[in-house]
Amino acid sequence: MLLSLLRLFGLLLPALIPSWRFFKTVAPSPRVEYRLFYRGSWGEWCEDRPRPARIGTLQMIRRLFWNPAWNEQLFMVSCSERLIDTPTVHSAAELARRIAQTLPEHEVDFQFRLVFLSREEDQIIKSVEYESARISRAEALA
Amino acid sequence: MSFEDTLRLTELMLAFVIAQQSLEHLSVRHSPWLFGLRLVCCACLAIGVFGPVAVWGLWGISVLMLHRFQGPYNGGSDKMTILILSCVSLAHLAPNVFWAEMALAYLAVQLVLSYFVSGWIKIVNPEWQSGRALSDVFRFSAYPVSEGLRDWADRRLVLFLMSWAVMLLEVLFPLTLLNAQALQLALLCTAAFHLSNACFFGLNRFFWIWLCAYPSLIWFQERVFEVAIPVW
Repeated sequence: MLLSLLRLFGLLLPALIPSWRFFKTVAPSPRVEYRLFYRGSWGEWCEDRPRPARIGTLQMIRRLFWNPAWNEQLFMVSCSERLIDTPTVHSAAELARRIAQTLPEHEVDFQFRLVFLSREEDQIIKSVEYESARISRAEALA
Repeated sequence: MSFEDTLRLTELMLAFVIAQQSLEHLSVRHSPWLFGLRLVCCACLAIGVFGPVAVWGLWGISVLMLHRFQGPYNGGSDKMTILILSCVSLAHLAPNVFWAEMALAYLAVQLVLSYFVSGWIKIVNPEWQSGRALSDVFRFSAYPVSEGLRDWADRRLVLFLMSWAVMLLEVLFPLTLLNAQALQLALLCTAAFHLSNACFFGLNRFFWIWLCAYPSLIWFQERVFEVAIPVW
């Protein structure tokens, strides 16, 4: 109980005395990828919630007032970074649940991984920093 | 603007912005009871019924959200929401006007720091000075809302100028406290900056919640600087 309160206070303190260090450096950036286990074998890795090719001005204006899907995607970015910095069951479960919500509605197992993109000189480097175990969709949504 | 008007305007803006955030959470099936209760508190705050209780309720729900998501759901915008709620809550709890004003002044100072610190850490970084950092944000960060926007990474001159415009605006922002008109102009520029972040990077919550802190700074400037520095 005391530890939970201390942890909560630790989460609250940066909001009361913020550091405001936005974009000090452009850190390696995570992408969430998943693959399905279907008929006894693993499928190809695919990106979770890929970005659209283009977004029109009207849609940009609409998103100023209503942008729940993108804000959820930003939360997944936070969870991915937390999972690497300070791994917790919570971050992995939040990611698994959100991936499971987008999968077809039948019993299926899946696995997800975190790919981090960074720049070295003029090259964009991809590295896999985390790979989950096999997860059942029903379990992830429970 | 009087202290009472500033506090009420901040509360009204906060009620609408938190209601918008709560509706977004409800649409993606997050803890309906928690965000439903948050909406009720926003309604109370907006119409001025049980105002202080509604603010404390919203503060308590924000702490529960920190626990639920094991940190902020939306990074800096959630932190700013909690900061504003904390200052407004303290203003209502304060034993006298002096401490109530101190609570709102703390919010104003933090708003100034939010620009100055984030500008300072960029301006001393060679990657930001060259425009390379902003290019990286477009090239590979998770923020651009469409793949098409990644093409901006190659517009080196534009990004160099944009980087310096933002860094200078942020670093020089505290100086605008010396003059009311300069502050109003600076707040227009920073609002435009948040608007562009909302369009390019989908940071709509930052745009709205930062606007909620603006009345406190306008009041603070008037309260401290307009009295201290006579205009000839």
